Amino acid sequence: MRKIFEVAKWEFVEKVKTRAFIISIIITPAIIIGFSMGPTLLSDNESNTTQAIGILDSTGVYFKPLSSELEEYKLDDGQPNYVAVNLYNKHKLFNELKLAGDSLVLTDELEGYLFISEDQHSLKYQFRGRSIGNFKDLKRFERSFNKIRTEIKLSGKGLSSELIKYINDKVELHPIKLEESGKESSANFLVVFFTSFILIMLLMMMILYSGGMLIRSLIEEKSNRLIEILVSSCSSDELLTGKILGLSALGLFQIIIWVVLAIALTGSSLIPADAFKNVAPMLIYFVLGFIFYTSIFVGAGSIASTEQEAQQLTSYISLILLFPIILVFSAVQNSDSFMLQLLSYIPFTTPSIMILRLNLQEVSPQEILITTLILIISIYITITVAAKIFKIGILSYGKRPSVREIFQWLKEK
Amino acid sequence: MFKSFANLHLIKKKAIFDFGNHIIGCMLSVKNLTKEFKNLIVVDNLSFEVSEGKIFGLLGPNGAGKTTTIRTILNIIRPSSGNIFFDGKPITTEFFNIIGYLPEERGLYKKSRVIDVIKYFAVLKNIQAKKAISLADEWLNKLDLWDLKEKKIEELSKGNQQKVQFITSVLHEPKLLILDEPFAGFDPINQEKIKELILSFVDQGKIIILSTHQMDTAEKLCSDIMLIDRGKEVCSGSLKEIKKQFGLNVVSVGFSGNISEIKNHPNVIDMNLYGNRAEIKLKEEVQQSEFLRSISQQYSINSFNPIDPSLHKIFIDVIQRNADIR
Repeated sequence: MRKIFEVAKWEFVEKVKTRAFIISIIITPAIIIGFSMGPTLLSDNESNTTQAIGILDSTGVYFKPLSSELEEYKLDDGQPNYVAVNLYNKHKLFNELKLAGDSLVLTDELEGYLFISEDQHSLKYQFRGRSIGNFKDLKRFERSFNKIRTEIKLSGKGLSSELIKYINDKVELHPIKLEESGKESSANFLVVFFTSFILIMLLMMMILYSGGMLIRSLIEEKSNRLIEILVSSCSSDELLTGKILGLSALGLFQIIIWVVLAIALTGSSLIPADAFKNVAPMLIYFVLGFIFYTSIFVGAGSIASTEQEAQQLTSYISLILLFPIILVFSAVQNSDSFMLQLLSYIPFTTPSIMILRLNLQEVSPQEILITTLILIISIYITITVAAKIFKIGILSYGKRPSVREIFQWLKEK
Repeated sequence: MFKSFANLHLIKKKAIFDFGNHIIGCMLSVKNLTKEFKNLIVVDNLSFEVSEGKIFGLLGPNGAGKTTTIRTILNIIRPSSGNIFFDGKPITTEFFNIIGYLPEERGLYKKSRVIDVIKYFAVLKNIQAKKAISLADEWLNKLDLWDLKEKKIEELSKGNQQKVQFITSVLHEPKLLILDEPFAGFDPINQEKIKELILSFVDQGKIIILSTHQMDTAEKLCSDIMLIDRGKEVCSGSLKEIKKQFGLNVVSVGFSGNISEIKNHPNVIDMNLYGNRAEIKLKEEVQQSEFLRSISQQYSINSFNPIDPSLHKIFIDVIQRNADIR
């Protein structure tokens, strides 16, 4: 027992002292925040200034009501979100006006313009702009236009403006996330998406970082035969357990630093407080996931004897790790999917998928218990298998063993 | 959690059974040790004993099976068959703390400090941290490394790194010390220093196994040796016995005048002339005193000395003869 502790202590202390570790503590969250917060920050900036929107209305009916409708939208500071510019000029040909409008957009004098034209059969309504990706703006333009159109149609049928207003009174849909605990919160797609994304990215980067570190140190110990001194001082099981514990402690230490950092940042409201709701179960999945993958790395690392082989192995493992990240987007849209349920019970994806689901929906305690048990049993199995591979792997140098050879190792007592 | 104790019990039962045959006073005994890897016999039925205060030379060409033998003694790998006893008990992981090992290929944690590395290996041998540090100080002083103890391993010269590694293998005062090429990488002055240290371990009653290619060193240090080739024992015993067994019948003769005719003497196989001295190889059964008597009547002989064959020569002869037989 004491030797396990000594190995763990060595692995922890010697790695905490390295410059690489200190850098990773700062760099990892910086990268993740950059990745995930970047787009949000950018789109926020956009809607913080008043935008000039042109209107080219060939019918002459829509400009006035549409411009006043658009100017109803206000920014946070009370300024109008849009300023409508009339592009229509009765002395010019319509096609010329259209070209002029396009060039105003291309020279950035206008954010874009709304193009309305009517022939005998249909009404054409376009938004012509450089960027057409802002769903919030587009939805507003469409809603405002249809409201006005309904009004015009109804007043054409002789309805009073009071009645029209009465009919046109529409209600917006607000999505509310329900939880069995009785709480309710308004689900913001971006918040949910990015919290899940950040947490899974953190887990992945931590596993990859410490896994890589573990493999490198194993290769160093193998190449200079330190491993022989180690296993003639303590059993390979003690060595393996010590290494996994030491590294897990290192990972936990990293999380603690980041959580403290994050709480400090929450004060400045950069990280949504929602992220810390399910801290306890998330932490369990985090730690178990970390131990699970670390034991895979130990087994894999003991087979490798060169840096290249190690990199190859690391990239295989990172593929499995990357998989849940690909799923985040669709999972946020449909958190009840069968696929997601299924992946919760496969140990490779349990930690990240469960962290994701805890963030998206209320997960029943039974499900948490079962998945945690699955993870713990898987950890036991992987460590047992890894221990056998480790025992022989650390003493075989040169050629990487074939799969058949590894199976033979597993059979050996 | 991971240990299977079943085998341990088996070994223990066997040990009790074997105990009666055990020679008292002998500390390490290897019996019929065999190790097979995938039908390849790397160590083939080796047996030897090393007692307190003795240095046992385990010699052989590259790939002879020395390292595998050492690894089974260290309990890093399990023998396919045969037993290893230490003080009458089968060697198990319990013996980890009394074994010191200096592997042939050296290397330490490059990014770590000298004192930390020494301490780590000491605590892994169950030495208390405090005691480890005071012992480390003592040893660093002894090997002139005191000033470097706070430095990182990678900042040390290669020779000094070797010294640190030597310290890690002996700091915990092991009863059984296994040294694989301990002099490699040291300059002559440090080689002498290490040699002195090893000899002081003999006085302390340690059991030492020395594996080396340097035959002159083995000759100076070892009391018993075993020469192995392709996993098999080629010869073993005390140095004297081996020299007697494998030494060639060669004499050095100082003379005046012309002795070239001796070449045709019926007992002579070969003769090399070096000015006033000749090295004469005699037939194996010929007594050197008889030969001297027979030639001193005809020639004027000034000196007559038997040439002691070096271990180096025996090594080469024996291994070559072995290869020829194959």
